[in-house]
Amino acid sequence: MNKNKILEKEIEARNFNRGGQVSSKLKTALTRLGIIPEVIRKTAIITYELEMNIIIHSNGGRIVVKIDKDEILITARDRGPGIRDVKKALKPGYSTAEEKVREMGFGAGMGLNNVREYSDFLEINTEVDSFTEVRTSIKLSSEE
Amino acid sequence: MAKKHSVQLKEEKCEGCTNCVKNCPTRAIRVHQGQASIIDDLCIDCAECIRTCEYDAKYTRAHQLEYIKDYDYPVLLIPPSFYGQFSHFYDPDILYQSIYDLGFNEIYNVSRSAEALSAKTAKFLKQADNYYISSSCPVTVRLIQKIYPELIEHLLPFKSPVESTAQQARKELIRNNDISGDEIGLFFLTPCPAKLTSLELALGQKASYLDGVLAVNDIYEKILPVIKQQKNNDKQKTHTKQKDKSAAQIKQNEVFDQGIKWGQSGGEEKLLGSFQEHRVLSVSGIKEIQKVLSELVHSNISGIKYFELVSCPQGCVGGVLNVCNSFQAKFNIRTAAKENNQKIITPDQKGEEYDFSLDRPFRSDQRGKLDPDMDRALDKLSRLEEEKDLLPGLDCASCGAPDCETLAEDIVQGKAQRTDCIFMLRQEVQNLAEQISNLARELPPVMSEEKMFKDAYGVHSGDELDQTKGDYNEG
Repeated sequence: MNKNKILEKEIEARNFNRGGQVSSKLKTALTRLGIIPEVIRKTAIITYELEMNIIIHSNGGRIVVKIDKDEILITARDRGPGIRDVKKALKPGYSTAEEKVREMGFGAGMGLNNVREYSDFLEINTEVDSFTEVRTSIKLSSEE
Repeated sequence: MAKKHSVQLKEEKCEGCTNCVKNCPTRAIRVHQGQASIIDDLCIDCAECIRTCEYDAKYTRAHQLEYIKDYDYPVLLIPPSFYGQFSHFYDPDILYQSIYDLGFNEIYNVSRSAEALSAKTAKFLKQADNYYISSSCPVTVRLIQKIYPELIEHLLPFKSPVESTAQQARKELIRNNDISGDEIGLFFLTPCPAKLTSLELALGQKASYLDGVLAVNDIYEKILPVIKQQKNNDKQKTHTKQKDKSAAQIKQNEVFDQGIKWGQSGGEEKLLGSFQEHRVLSVSGIKEIQKVLSELVHSNISGIKYFELVSCPQGCVGGVLNVCNSFQAKFNIRTAAKENNQKIITPDQKGEEYDFSLDRPFRSDQRGKLDPDMDRALDKLSRLEEEKDLLPGLDCASCGAPDCETLAEDIVQGKAQRTDCIFMLRQEVQNLAEQISNLARELPPVMSEEKMFKDAYGVHSGDELDQTKGDYNEG
């Protein structure tokens, strides 16, 4: 089985009302494919965080989700400020979100940390003042 | 397949409107040939369709009162919400007398077990790392099992107060009376169809401890005249009690002021609060519950340790089998709880007799797989997206499915056709009309223009021949 694209979605910057839509759509698609609840949950959390990151920090971007017989592969690419210090960004509680955004209850600095926690693979490519691309995957069978 | 669900359709009353279809939280209803049908596998007995049906075409299959005669020793279990049915709190003795008159030998209050469960839950939460979701509302449990199976591990791993009361009641009755277990008939007075379904589809247990379920509205209309009459009589003479009650029986008949709060939304939260657990949020109404669960799937709520999620609006008092409206009933319960200032049981003192342990953990009952084979499911998923893009996206439900996405799914699964959509049908008709119109412009050979005739027989006019010649020259 090749990699099948099951979702591709443009994400608008600062549109907080739409936050969670990609994640919900993905949950529906994965349910239709009969993916086990544990994996769906991890994927939903990861996608939600990536989606919110694009909304909060970037000038807009795109999420693409592919699946093959072993894993779900999520790619989130945005145009925007990039990440200055990836190591720091992965630390729980570290956030560069504006005060306004934090007051709304977002940008608590758990996003990328959650992505790392729930994923089986994580790669971040970024260039300051240009783009960020997060590639992450979740294995379909849970070994734990 | 045997009908295990208690929400059923009265076919002769169904007008084929799509009110229920659109309001079903699990998209379990379709209207075909002017009749609604419920997909058994998806139904969670939330009764939203009963609430939204304007034609009274949905009903709950409950046991009739005559059924209690099958047992030598019928017992009624009264839920906390039942006390909300009366606008002023009747003397429990009068209320119970009217129930004994119906043929019951004994009455048990679920409120007692509700208090005990809250005490146990508070203790459990103190040691738990994770957050938990109340498992007392069977609709919430089934919704999680089918639609949000990712959250299954967060369901509180305890039996509901109803089931633990039933289990304890049978044990006590056998011990205190000279009767065997199968002579006892344990009947629950239910405010909702979901508790009724649990009789056959027990949650977290091999089987229910109940023998039957009676609907509140059915019993209410039988006891109300008796209560009113007894109240009048009471002023003249003291009524004789039907039975001499043992101390144990009297204990069971006590109404617990905290426990009855469980019958309305926020009750469990209040109870847990009295056991010093304040990190609790209560939400009622199926649509609101779905929103909370969606947020929980994204791990987007923090700081809360326990969620009291009750499917009916205002809690169990909002159950469709109740008589009194949910707002009045909620107020009635709060008033009754205040007026009957009995002491709340505290953990480690009482309520330890109940067994809340489950026979087996709650399991996922995930629905919505397009195909058992992953490759075929992927193929269907991409076809589903294609079909969805063709459909107008108005979610008008005229096709009998709740929305365009569900119709697309039904089409892919071979359960519906594209032309079930009236807009697609109109498009098809338009296409056909254009074809007919084109056909109508076609003329019989004798009337047709020269060119057509000549084309058909390979005869060319002088101009065309010249053109051909030109081509040759160029080549």
